[in-house]
Amino acid sequence: MRHVGEVVESSTRVFIARSQDVGESPSFGCFVKTVSKPVVYGLVYEILTESKEPGRKPNAYGMTMDELRREQPHIFELLKTEFHVLITAYAEGEKIRFSLPPLPPPIHTFVHECNNNEVERLTSEDFFLRTIISSANIPIDELLISSLRYAQDARKNDRDYIVRMGKSLARIFKDDYERLSSVLRRVV
Amino acid sequence: MVEEKKNFEGKFLEKISLAQAELELRSRQWEELSKKVKLSKTSWLLPGIFSPLNTKYPLPSRPSGYTVVASDGSQIFPDRHEALPCFLINIGSVILQYGIGGKAQLKSYPKFFYGDEDRLTTWDGRRIPADSAVISEKRAVMEFEEIIRLHEVCEDKDNVLALCDGTLIFWRLEGAPLDFKAEIMNSFLNVMDRLKTMKVPIAGYISYPGSIDIINALRVGLCPEEVSYCAQCPYTDLPELPCAPIQGVSDRVLFSRVLEPGERSCLFESSSRILELYGEHTIFFFYLNVGEEISRVEIPKWVAQDNSLLNLVHTLVFDQAKKGDGYPAALIEAHEQAVVKGKDRDFFYELVKEALVRSDFKVTLSRKGLSKRSPGI
Repeated sequence: MRHVGEVVESSTRVFIARSQDVGESPSFGCFVKTVSKPVVYGLVYEILTESKEPGRKPNAYGMTMDELRREQPHIFELLKTEFHVLITAYAEGEKIRFSLPPLPPPIHTFVHECNNNEVERLTSEDFFLRTIISSANIPIDELLISSLRYAQDARKNDRDYIVRMGKSLARIFKDDYERLSSVLRRVV
Repeated sequence: MVEEKKNFEGKFLEKISLAQAELELRSRQWEELSKKVKLSKTSWLLPGIFSPLNTKYPLPSRPSGYTVVASDGSQIFPDRHEALPCFLINIGSVILQYGIGGKAQLKSYPKFFYGDEDRLTTWDGRRIPADSAVISEKRAVMEFEEIIRLHEVCEDKDNVLALCDGTLIFWRLEGAPLDFKAEIMNSFLNVMDRLKTMKVPIAGYISYPGSIDIINALRVGLCPEEVSYCAQCPYTDLPELPCAPIQGVSDRVLFSRVLEPGERSCLFESSSRILELYGEHTIFFFYLNVGEEISRVEIPKWVAQDNSLLNLVHTLVFDQAKKGDGYPAALIEAHEQAVVKGKDRDFFYELVKEALVRSDFKVTLSRKGLSKRSPGI
């Protein structure tokens, strides 16, 4: 399977991966894993395309993408796309541990998208929701919605599952009914 | 001060108008001027003239797909205050392929020179450490050699242009000893031979040129003598020499009055002394209005004499300048790949020092070198 990125910055709770091609990235809310020991799992919460050189800014050329590819092909070499990943779990042998890995994934580790089977395992409990909610500087509610949708897709729309996660969210949000309702209405 | 500046500008505009009038006049008698220029002995560079000087050529149509290969270089000069007498040359190179399936390759190749074999140069029979002048010439040769490599790896070999930043004339070598001159020229001419065999036109691009070859020719035209011998000038007692009224105007300013965007001037031949060594690669040039400015484009004789290659250079250089807002996009990117900044230089010497220390070498820096690293208050 082709990797979708390579780790270029790594820390205990999040890592940043550079996409193979400019403008391409696993989608927001998608589950990814590193090819490292241990395998680290996480959720894409930020995707950014910008100039590789801090001093150079992209121009507006007034051309379509096709025209740009024909007439200014070098500009794509000057841009980079990176995605930021919130770490939600790691593998210990066959087992998935829903806590932070002992060490962050090494720089230059390849990143792959998780398959349905892995998504099911990563979302079988509500730990990923709790990780999202307790994180700072990320779009919490949007990430809850997108990750729940991925979890639901992997299960081919299992109604019991979404009810169970809805109950978890109700416990987590406690008396914030407005917020809970806003999230749940956008998941289903 | 303002008054002075106004006066100067007024006089300069008069000079430009006079130069333009001279250009028109001498264009009608261009064959005479061409002969006079050939016979004259001046201390200035005079161009070879082959057609009316004001001839303009419209922009030829551009092929829908083309490739530019370009290189540029930068260096870290040796510093005797640092731990090791060494230097670095970084060659930035690009292949930009336009049209359907357009793509780009941007790379840089740093080369580290530290051993005696690398660092010493034969200069007038002696082996001396390379100084900044020597390193600059070596770098120029490496830039040209990179062009050949780029052409070898580029996928689409139709409509390829090799583009270099600056002049193709190694005029700085004129004062160099024969052995060093030969070393540099052999490598350069070898590159030119190969480009000629492969029919890949090469062009040197000079932005905002300060050259005055054509103005010099017009000054010879202004000289009342049948043939100008500046050393025996009979007019030195006059308050102003007959050739002086257009002195101070550059070819760039003159052609900005003549050429519309996209148009190029006719071809002229450079007469730099070093070109005696160029043989069939001797350098011709034309001025080109790229829209934002008048630039000078230098090409070897075999490009100048092949109309299809010449037209390709004309249209592709213009297109490149359009893509780069007035300066060829390929040269901008080659420069970006090559450039070594002050921060990189410090990092480079830090690495050299670390490598030496790791291998248990004693590292000695001059007090000056040390004081620059941690200046006290």
